[in-house]
Order: sequence, then C-alpha cells, then structure tokens
Amino acid sequence: MNSTLGYGFAVLGLSASILGALGGTYALATKRLHLLRPVRQWAWLVLVAGIGAFVVMEVALFQRDYTVDYVQRVGSSATPPLYNFAALWSALEGSIILWVLLLAGYISAMLIKFRDRSDDPLFGWALVVMLAISAFFFGLMTGPANPFVPALVPVGFEGPGPNPLLQNHILVAFHPPMLYMGYVGFSVPFSFATAALITGRVGEGWLIETRRWTVAAWGFLTIGIVLGAWWSYEVLGWGGYWAWDPVENASLLPWLTGTAYLHSVMVQERRGMLRVWNLSLLCATFSLTILGTFLTRSGVIDSVHAFADGAVGPWLLVFFGVVAGGSIGLIAWRGDELRSPGAIDSPLSREASFLANNLIFGALAFVILLGTVFPLLAEAWNDTRLTIGRPYFDSLGRPIAFVMLFLMASAPVLPWRKASTELLSQRLYWPAVAAVMAMFVAVMLGARGFYPVLTFGLGGFAAGAALRQVILASRRQGWRGLVGRTNGGMIVHIGVVLIAVGVASSEAYKTDRSATLLPGQSVTVENHEFTYLELRADQNDRRQRIYAEILIDGEDVYTPAQTRYLQSGMVVPTPSVRPGFTEDLFLVLDTTPENPEGPIRLRIIVRPMISWLWTGGALMGIGSILAIFPGKRRRGTEAVSAVLVGAASG
Amino acid sequence: MSTKKPFEQRTLSWVILGVFALSLLAVASFSSSGPLEGDDRIQYLSTIYACPQCQGQSVAESNAAVSATIREFISVKVNAGASDEEIRDELIRSYGSKVLLTPPAEGISLVVWILPVIVAVGGAAMVVSILRRRDEGLRPATEADAELVSQALEQVPASKEQP
Repeated sequence: MNSTLGYGFAVLGLSASILGALGGTYALATKRLHLLRPVRQWAWLVLVAGIGAFVVMEVALFQRDYTVDYVQRVGSSATPPLYNFAALWSALEGSIILWVLLLAGYISAMLIKFRDRSDDPLFGWALVVMLAISAFFFGLMTGPANPFVPALVPVGFEGPGPNPLLQNHILVAFHPPMLYMGYVGFSVPFSFATAALITGRVGEGWLIETRRWTVAAWGFLTIGIVLGAWWSYEVLGWGGYWAWDPVENASLLPWLTGTAYLHSVMVQERRGMLRVWNLSLLCATFSLTILGTFLTRSGVIDSVHAFADGAVGPWLLVFFGVVAGGSIGLIAWRGDELRSPGAIDSPLSREASFLANNLIFGALAFVILLGTVFPLLAEAWNDTRLTIGRPYFDSLGRPIAFVMLFLMASAPVLPWRKASTELLSQRLYWPAVAAVMAMFVAVMLGARGFYPVLTFGLGGFAAGAALRQVILASRRQGWRGLVGRTNGGMIVHIGVVLIAVGVASSEAYKTDRSATLLPGQSVTVENHEFTYLELRADQNDRRQRIYAEILIDGEDVYTPAQTRYLQSGMVVPTPSVRPGFTEDLFLVLDTTPENPEGPIRLRIIVRPMISWLWTGGALMGIGSILAIFPGKRRRGTEAVSAVLVGAASG
Repeated sequence: MSTKKPFEQRTLSWVILGVFALSLLAVASFSSSGPLEGDDRIQYLSTIYACPQCQGQSVAESNAAVSATIREFISVKVNAGASDEEIRDELIRSYGSKVLLTPPAEGISLVVWILPVIVAVGGAAMVVSILRRRDEGLRPATEADAELVSQALEQVPASKEQP
C-alpha cells in the first residue's frame, strides 16, 4: 500500500517536472509567454509530489510497514520516535526524498516570491532549470534509488533500525536537514544564473534578485556544517570535531566557493565587474553540491559518513558532468557580453581585497578538492594506495587561514576604488590595538607557540575591524546599524574569529591521555582529578549500555559508556563530555573488563575553548539572518534592475 | 575616534604597536618547550599515522582495533627509546605506505604538493594582471559605447514612470 502510493508520488513528481520543464522551454523558445502559466501548475504539482513522498515514507516508518524495503533496512519497532523520524534520511534513498521535498519547497517559494513576474522570461527559464533539476532527482527516485521498492516480509521480521551512530544524538534530527537546506538552496541562484545566460540578461538584475536567497542558502549550509562538526564531537568519540574526512570535505567545498561568491558579487553589483567569474563561482558551487552528494552517497569513498552505497553513483556523476559542462558552455557562448566594463583603480581598495579573498578561497577549495579526490585518482591511475589526512590539510590550510584573517581585518575598512595609507592608518589603528591586546592577554594567560598566538592576534585584528564597522553604523543608524548585508556580514566575521580562536587553542593546547584504572583509583590530568568509581550497566529493548562512573574533581559524576545496539549487534563508544567556557573534559571508555572488579581503559581528553566553536557557529547563523534583513539602501536598486531592459526588448 | 592625530604621532604609535606585537610573538615562540618527550611525543606520533582500515583518520582519532594496536606499538617503541625514523620504517614495513597520513613528496604523490603551488602562483598572477589593467589608461570611447549610453539615456524616463 505505502509502496504503491509512494511510488505513485515519485512518478507524479517526475512527470510534472518533465512536463513543466518541457512546456516552459517550448513557451520560452517560441516566445509564447502566456504558455508559461501552466508551468506554474506543474510546479505546484511537484510540491504535492514532494510532500506526498515524504509523508508516505514517514507514515511507513511509523507504522513499521516492512512491506517497504527501505523500512526493512532502517526501521525498527524499538527506535524512539525522534530517531525513527530521522531514519528517513539515514540512508541514500530516503535522503533523496528529503532532497526533492526541499527542492519542491524552494520552487514553491520562488513561485510565491515572483508571482507578479510569471511572464518574465528570466524567471521562466529559472523555473525551467529548477524543474529540470527536480526531474533528475525524481528520476533517481523512480529508478536507481527507489525508496518505495516493495518487499516480502519474513515471518516475525524485526528491522535493524538506523545505523547506531544515527540514533544516539538529537543532532541527527537537525544536521542533515540544515545541510540539505543549504545544498538545495544554492540551486535557486544557480537557476537564475543559468536563466541570465540563456536570456542574455547578464547584467546585475539577476544577482540582486537572488541576493537574499544566496545568503539564506549559505547560512543554512554554515549551520549544517557546524552542527555536523558538533555531532561528530559528541558522538564519534575521538575528541575531535573535524577529521578532514572526504564527506566533511565535500560539504566544505561548496561552502568555500559560495563564500567567495558572496564576496565577489559585491564587486559586480557595485562596479559591474567580474561577471564571468561570479557566474563560474555560482556554477562551481552548485556542481560541487552534486559532487558532494556523489562522494557521500555513491560509496566511492568509504568513510564514517558513507552509510550508503548503491547504483546511483554513475547517474550523479553524469548529472555533475551535465551541470559543469553546460555551465561552461553557456558562459563561453555569452563570453562577449560578459566582458566587464570597469577596471580596478588601486590594489588598496575594497574590490582588490575581494579579489584577494576569492584567490584565497579558491586556493583553499582547490587544495581540499585535490586532497580528497587524489587518492581515488592515484588508485585508478596505477593502483597506488595512499592516504591524505589531517597533516596535509593542516599544513596547507594554515597559511591560507592566516591570510584570510588578515583580509577580514583589512578589507572591511577599505573604501571602494582607492584608499590612502593615511586613511588606512587611521581606520586600522583601533583594530591593531585590539590585535596586540589579544596577544598580550593570551601570553599573560600562558599561551605559547607561534601559530596559536598569531591566530589570537589576527583574530583580534579582524574582530576589531568588524566591531568598528558595527559600532560606527549603530551610532549613525541605531538598531539599523546591526542589519543589512554589511553589518550582518560583520557579525558573521566575528563568528568566524571565534571559530578560528577555538580551533587554534583546542588544537594547540589539547591534552590526550589514556589511563588504566581499577575501581577507586584516580588519575590527574591538567589539574583535574578523575576517579573511577564503579562499572554499571543498564538495558532497554533497543540497546545495552555498560558505563563507568567517573568522578571529576570530587564534584560531578560523568558516565562514558560502551553501547551495544541489539538489532545490529554493533558496539559504539558513547563519550561523556563536561563542557565549559574555557575547556571541555572529554571522557571515552576504551575498553571494559569482563569482571566488574577489573581495570577499565579510560581516555581523557582536555581541550580548551571548544565551546567557542559552537558559539561562533551560532553567531554566523545570526549574522546571516541579520544580513537578509534590508539594510539602509532599502529596495533602492529595483528601479534600474534588468527587468525593464528585458521587458523593453522582449 | 574622529579626533585626528598628526601624522607623525600616529606613525610613532604604529611603530610601538608593531614592536610590541613582534616581541609578544617572540616570547610565545621561544619560550615554548623544546623537542617533545614522553606522552606528548606518543600523542604527536599517533596523529601522523593513518588507521589502515579507515579513510584518512589518524590512529589517534580512530577507535578501530588496529589503531589501538598501532598506538600501543608507538607507546612501547617511544618508551624503549626508538627514534622517529625507526618507528616510521617499521610501520611502513607492516602496513604499507598508506599508513602515512601525509603523502610523501616523491613519486605520484608529489603532485599534491606541487599542484597547489602552481595554482596559487597562477591565481596570484591572474589577480595581479586584473589589477594591472588600469595601467592601460582610459581608452577613447567607441561607437558601441556611445550607443550604450544613448540606450541607457532612453531608459531613464521609462524607469521613472515605473511605480
């Protein structure tokens, strides 16, 4: 029943997307713009199909309807409701349901936002591109990644539930949807960029139309990545948050190109320059979201995240090729019209520093892409097996991060066009004082080492420049000095600084010790006393937990555990964390004895300022929201946007 | 903040800030401890070797059994006074060069060290060439430019009529 209904929605979505895309293309190609109206109806049907497929799968999961193959794989009557709800996106086929639901949501949001523009070819083409993307993903759902495959139910069958790592922390319910909101969200600016190339309206109109959409998608992606890091810290039990795992890298790549785009787009809005570059960045960002999905979901790379493998790999790779090749072709075709009229007057200017920003973000994205994909290429080339891990990314990423922090300090104070050293020395003075103060305080508190102290200094410099902007704007405009792109952006910058400081100190001043302890024994690490009290166990119908009671500093008891999930038989360590503003104490139960009187092996990790990472991430999210609110130049650009030009010529 | 100091005075305060910053960095760099010893050295060494069964995780990060074995091996070797090279050679003998988390700068993996440098230099050259473009100065207006201007002028009244 659920299989049939769900598959019906998938077919409906596929048909509506194809018919809408073809109908729209016909209407636009033959200039019969009144024929664009029915395309909107098809687009609404896509939303119906997306919601339908999602609801049917959730119902099947909650009914434990094992006649659906997907539910047989990830469902279980023992899974609590929250994790059962999240089980929908715990494997490949279900993730595609989430993807099409969000894509359909974005399409509907476009229909509502641009409801007065249904005859506009630019919007028409954007809708066609969105529907084509949606056709691809509904196509996966009806074919190679069908979540609604019916299955025979053996007598007394009981499902395994989702992967144990996906059912022991609440963040599983938030991290993937947020990440997907970001991934899918970039398809909106991408579709407008493609539409601009097709219609030849390559001016600044489409940029301004999609500005907020891009910031929103970027904000979701940022929050999604930070939540992923947090999940990994709380769940995976190695005391870290970022492993340079291929799947983490895959999520970072579109974030980097997207961030570069958010900055260089300002040069185009202001000066009409860098058109080809901006289009390329946007197309690269969207292509990288597809490549990320391919790396994550095709099983091409075995990693802690690749819970899924299946037959969709080739399809995703083909789609990636079509998107990347199509974008390059379109940009080459419109090459002449994309030539930019202006030139940059001085290297000491806002636009020159945005260029430097793009170089830095581009270089980092390249390094990460190379480090992620190269082992695969080397293996394909001559079967060389090699590993590229943290030391490689750290050694190449660190200098790039320092330049980034420096630019974050200098770029916001630079005016457009041209600056004098006189002006710079005046505007950078207080940020520089903040930089030296940050280093002074850090060294007084005992911070040592060139890299971390340099990070604190550059962090203070960047935070000082960001605060300067926000303070000056708030003095002039009151609360409006906190909203708008520039000011919201500065709040995001402060979030980035907090993350940089958190990363530098939690990496440089980490202490990682293993201790073998008998009941009653203590060990002292970094001025904290850890006493092993006793080993205990508890059990419910889902899992069996063996945990050690550890008394920290004679005050609180923490319980790192080994958890065995009964349906899958997998044992995963469950760390116990005492968080704090200055440091986190992270406990992992490495081994448990047969006999409760025997010794346990306990891993104790002390990491300073980890909480700054999560605070910084939250600040980046808040900054993105503030950046979406209209700033002081409210709607001022509408009158000269390319709409009129298009309406006049079309 | 709006009070304008004379230029010389500000130059002096910049110099003071710079000297102070450099001395803080110097204190931070030179007073940090010498070569790693004991537990710290074990900890460091276990971050530079890969868990052979995982993708790109170090043995310090991974919970796999083989990582525990390698961590134990490193700890035993360090306490027995083995050098970093001895530990490295022995691990490569047992697990192959895939146990190295950093690709060696030789053979095919030389690419991952050289290519970023080439790309960075190329990108920087591109940025410099964009910045240099102003050196050509303003070119005289062409007919196409004049047409663009007249087109734009025609649209000005149109855009004002728009509500």
